[in-house]
Amino acid sequence: MRTTNLTLPRPRPAGALLLAGALAAALPLAACGGSSGGGTGAPPSGPLNVGVIGPMTGPAAEIGNLMSGACYAAQYSVNQAGGVLGRKISCDLIDDTGDPADAVPNVSKALATTTLSMAVGLESNTAATTIPLVNAAKIPMVSTNGLVAFDTTRDAYFWRMTPSDDQNGAAFVAWAARKGYKRYAVVFQNNIGAQGNEPGVVAAVRKIGGTMTANLTIPGDASSYSSVVARVLAGRPQALILAGDPQTSATFLSEYRQLSGGKVPPVITSTDSITPAYFSAVRKVMGTSYVTHDMFFIGGYVNPSSQAYALYKHAVYSASQVKDPATILGVGVIASIYDGISLMALAMVQAHSTSGPVYNKDIAAIAAGAPGAVTVDSYAAGLAALKAGKKIHYVGVGGPIHFNAFHNSPGNFSASGFTASGNPVLLGVIPGTTVQQLLS
Amino acid sequence: MRLLIESLGFGIASGAIIALGAVGFTVQFGISNVLNITYGALMTLAAYLGYALLGAGVNVWVAMAVAAAAIAIASALLNRGLIAPLVRRGTGFVGVVIVTVSAGIIIQYCIVAIAGADTISYGQQAGSTVSGAGFVFTTSQLVIIAITVAVMLALHLLLTRTQLGRAMRATSANPVVARSCGIRTDRVTDLAWLITGALCGAAGVALAISTVTFDFTIGPTFLIYMIAAAVLGGIGQPYGAMLGGLVVGVVSQVAAAYTSPAYQDAYAFAVLVLVLMLRPRGLFASGAAARRLTRA
Repeated sequence: MRTTNLTLPRPRPAGALLLAGALAAALPLAACGGSSGGGTGAPPSGPLNVGVIGPMTGPAAEIGNLMSGACYAAQYSVNQAGGVLGRKISCDLIDDTGDPADAVPNVSKALATTTLSMAVGLESNTAATTIPLVNAAKIPMVSTNGLVAFDTTRDAYFWRMTPSDDQNGAAFVAWAARKGYKRYAVVFQNNIGAQGNEPGVVAAVRKIGGTMTANLTIPGDASSYSSVVARVLAGRPQALILAGDPQTSATFLSEYRQLSGGKVPPVITSTDSITPAYFSAVRKVMGTSYVTHDMFFIGGYVNPSSQAYALYKHAVYSASQVKDPATILGVGVIASIYDGISLMALAMVQAHSTSGPVYNKDIAAIAAGAPGAVTVDSYAAGLAALKAGKKIHYVGVGGPIHFNAFHNSPGNFSASGFTASGNPVLLGVIPGTTVQQLLS
Repeated sequence: MRLLIESLGFGIASGAIIALGAVGFTVQFGISNVLNITYGALMTLAAYLGYALLGAGVNVWVAMAVAAAAIAIASALLNRGLIAPLVRRGTGFVGVVIVTVSAGIIIQYCIVAIAGADTISYGQQAGSTVSGAGFVFTTSQLVIIAITVAVMLALHLLLTRTQLGRAMRATSANPVVARSCGIRTDRVTDLAWLITGALCGAAGVALAISTVTFDFTIGPTFLIYMIAAAVLGGIGQPYGAMLGGLVVGVVSQVAAAYTSPAYQDAYAFAVLVLVLMLRPRGLFASGAAARRLTRA
């Protein structure tokens, strides 16, 4: 998941040490509740802990809420099926706050005090620091980060079933081209994920013979973007490829509307932004009609008509801990957490072990499916097949999983929008092969 | 050329908001010798009060006035209840600064506890667009510029034409001597915090009108620009703060128009460093406040 165009605050200007200290101390303000990954080590007969590593507090807590929701759904479905090797699984929320400075001590503490059987989450803002820790602890993980660096990672316990940021950037252009737009203004907030999209956008625009009327990086949460808007307007773009947190996007679009006489081209952005906070912020300044007709959110694809999705949806709505099921279902990449937990749990059963070094290789085997393997679309179905002595091939909510040599399986892409009530709705599918061609 | 003129206009609009807050900040420091970091949190509080009032159907300018009045009272109470007693007991300059940092954090916690950590929005309050001579402004920007200019003139008249203003200047120059001359410096300081609190509140709402959408970090994030403007103009100098605000606003907007917008703030702060290298006490500084700051 490319979390960076969500709600992380921009870096504060340096220089005023006292103020910086105050801000640093104030950042955990949003820590109204939430939990961290501490706790006592689980006894062998206790539940298997699934570490959900993400921002559970702070400005990006919405991401943590999505991650934990998907984990609770998987917890529900796995435990309803009888658990893993006689043990229930339990989601253990480990708060990385979206800040590497907090992430390292928090994750280190969790790894030292809790026996984690698997990990999920590990998003872009902190992935570069948290993934090495989890990998060194030999805990298999399914990450939702979008960092291009992990396209060719050699971390043995790392697995990713979502596209990297440059692929997502290319998918933005693929969708824009499908809608008939040829002139694009690219405006990205200066954070790690948005910047990761940029190379893919540039390459794809060149490939399709389009025109990039502007390619600007903006600071987040500024009081005004008027000069930037004036530059963008001068290029007369047909579409805005815009990645920013809700506050940044709302301020930018509001000023665009003001300076353009009310005419704002369609916005193409990441599914990371298809959140209630984004909907609320942008709708208030742009109106419901614009948000529902002219905003497109591109990200990892899930097939809503599949049986796997139906089971996922049932689990999301059945898990009592899930706070916002509609939003969780609308963010496709989050389903990879559910799929990841199901896949790793099945790997444990197949390996007859909950030890990472033992079951890690079975993850790839079950995703690929040996000749003659039974295709299963849920943990329960896979468990039943394994108990029956059969080989299994897991095809989950995100469709078939094709891990490459670097444990990446980007899959297809979806284009989603908002309904008038702010719920996500699927608008179309962009084949992964199309995106790969744009990047080739 | 068109972009240059436009960006100058945008810079003036941004600078007006910075100046509005910076004038209050610098006057407060000049008179009480307290570098009040709580100022940012009080701006946030004003923005949230404005939001609540807008939600109740109040006009945005009325909301600004009410928020300014509320923050004025909060500011005076902060000084009377927390800062002044500490100063009386001999707490040092840095100690008081740390207390204001702490108070700001507490206020932010309270805001989050009551209003939540999510972003909120004023919606479109910008009004219609007005163009002329290459400049483009919204009506709300023009109103904010007018308010800033009016505040500047009012402060000028207050400081130069009234007994209270003379007492304020005397307190700023040397509070011990001012007390020995019969000036009730405590009362003067209270009034200074009341007036500057009102400017803080007005700046908080003006900022929220500009950003449209914001969260609990809005004030502290913006405070650094106001401090920069105050220091650039010469700490303790209201005219200097206004000029400093305009410089920060114009430089950042022009930089955004002609270079990577990602570095627009870097240019503004580079100008600050350059000015301070040439004029260590800022553009307008000559008073006691600047001397105190350079000693602190």
